[in-house]
Amino acid sequence: MQYMLGVDIGSVSSNFVLLDQQQVVQAKVYLRTNGNPVQAIRTGYQLLNSKMPDEASISGVGVTGSGRHLADIMLGADVVKNEITAHAVAACHYAPDCQTVIEIGGQDSKIIILRDGIVYDFAMNTVCAAGTGSFLDQQAARLGIAIEKLGEESLASSRPVRIAGRCGVFAESDMIHKQQMGYPMSDILMGLCEALVRNYLNNVGKGKKIAAPVVFQGGVAANRGIRKAFEKALKLPVAVPDDHDVMGAIGAAILAGEAVAASRGTRFKGDNFILQGEFQTRSLDCQGCPNLCEVACIMRDHQVLSYWGDRCRKWETTLKPARERVVV
Amino acid sequence: MTQVGIPRGLFYFYQYPLWKTFFRDLGAEVVTSSSTGRQTIDVGIVHTVDECCLPIKVYFGHIHELIQLRPDYIMAPRLVSIEYRSYICPKFMGIPDMIRASLPDCPPLIDITIDCSRDTRQLWKDIYRVGALFNADRRKVKSAYEHGLQALKSLCVLTRQGYTQHEAIELWENYCLEQAELNSGDLTVGVLGHGYSLYDPAVSLQLIERLRGLGCKAVLLESCPRDAVEQAAAQIPKKMFWTLGRKMLGSALVMDQSADIDGIVYLACFGCGPDSMVGDIVGRKVRHKPFMLVTIDEHSGEGGLVTRLEAFCDMLRRKKVQKLESDLSAYGIHAHCR
Repeated sequence: MQYMLGVDIGSVSSNFVLLDQQQVVQAKVYLRTNGNPVQAIRTGYQLLNSKMPDEASISGVGVTGSGRHLADIMLGADVVKNEITAHAVAACHYAPDCQTVIEIGGQDSKIIILRDGIVYDFAMNTVCAAGTGSFLDQQAARLGIAIEKLGEESLASSRPVRIAGRCGVFAESDMIHKQQMGYPMSDILMGLCEALVRNYLNNVGKGKKIAAPVVFQGGVAANRGIRKAFEKALKLPVAVPDDHDVMGAIGAAILAGEAVAASRGTRFKGDNFILQGEFQTRSLDCQGCPNLCEVACIMRDHQVLSYWGDRCRKWETTLKPARERVVV
Repeated sequence: MTQVGIPRGLFYFYQYPLWKTFFRDLGAEVVTSSSTGRQTIDVGIVHTVDECCLPIKVYFGHIHELIQLRPDYIMAPRLVSIEYRSYICPKFMGIPDMIRASLPDCPPLIDITIDCSRDTRQLWKDIYRVGALFNADRRKVKSAYEHGLQALKSLCVLTRQGYTQHEAIELWENYCLEQAELNSGDLTVGVLGHGYSLYDPAVSLQLIERLRGLGCKAVLLESCPRDAVEQAAAQIPKKMFWTLGRKMLGSALVMDQSADIDGIVYLACFGCGPDSMVGDIVGRKVRHKPFMLVTIDEHSGEGGLVTRLEAFCDMLRRKKVQKLESDLSAYGIHAHCR
């Protein structure tokens, strides 16, 4: 059996899926990146491997997420795609007539407007990460509630309080204030959900025409309070796919399938490469010029696999042929 | 020989050839700070009031570097207006004062006031005053300035070919350039932004270079036909009174109507007053092309920018493919992109 591997290395979570030839999810792994993507990639791959049927083999790999370049080097990817395209592809796979994709992840939130199955317009949060998963995480930890329970808890609310959603710091002080005033926890949590939704629609969704069907995905989609708040604000049904937490990885796997079909052959490095050797990352401040680039490199058993982060590509090109110089 | 330092920031991208030629003709030696680097930004942040935008902070980093070279003068004009009844961002007006306040050990500043909002009389008076510093008579000063204007024209010839102002200045000065080919790529993307942020690769996180790397031909404001730009900018009900803002708006509208352009990217600086208005107006007025506004600030993490640019290019490519597949464009129904 031939499978496609899709990997999404995000800021907060790392997701792995195996798609079969009918593009059905056969196995999935969702785990926390915990600030160590290299470890997450190995652990995730190992877990997925243990769930894989014996006769199965991986015939293509797609990677996405902010750690996609790292994943590419460790796994050998046929497709390295940005999150927006990957999520859009996955949403279309889940709901072919989908018009709007709301995706809220650990550090970023995006809106993707689809028409006839292709990305028509998109927006991402700008410099600020207020109202994303990591903020919810932080609040859940502060209140001593498991993040998975946050949604359930907020659904019990009958009269949500108003929380400032524009800035995470303000939202937190507002919540503390409401807490000290004696409002019930569920009302505060629902207020928080509504604040995040309001903030999302005003910032990310500004000026976008949000039409049904709306698909809500990303880690935060597990929070039923947020989903309810979206439905209330948009006055539209909001669908959450079963695999909402690994949609990026699904999109990457589908794209890998397309790429492999076109190129006939995969760059996948195989179990031995990924699980046997020891991967290490290192960073160095290049002193070559005043740019002082922070160059990162990844090594496997003391052999450098790749450099990146240097503006002049001096380090990067030590492993690749050099660029030529143009004289006018 | 008298040395004049010109910092590599702000008006440098618009006027460097003018002032370099001018001072050289007056018999001075021109020194510049090195290209913006991490250090320039770090030093600039320390020495600037914190509500300034990134390009001003970078400019202060350059001034600081120049001070170490101890030139006899530093060229830091008080830029108010470069054309009739149109203005430059008000922060430019206060630059010489801000420098004196935060960098007291600065060499004397050549802080001529460039204000052409009514006429050029004051400007000429100031130019002659500067000439007097180098013991030049009025005729010599006049011909030096006119020579400078010619140099500026040769810069325009280069930018019209699609070079960024940064590249054009390199070409003008060194006759050679280290970069990829200009006119390749399957996509054509209009790129807008204030020149001092967009054309400084360290400030814009190499936005233009990255777009070219993604297979885009970057069309810049300077290569848009000037008359069409002015005509388009005049369409909005109230005149845009910032010179650069008006040009960006006009170019965006021209690009919006141009058949060759696939999409438009606008680079805004966090904390820039004009950008917060112009960027928003451009976003609303561009109706026929995909539009993306990217905001930059002091962060050096470029991942967010890369993701947005890649997604934008993906979107443009898929649209193009779909358009080719059916002559009856699916977009005929929804003519509006935003």
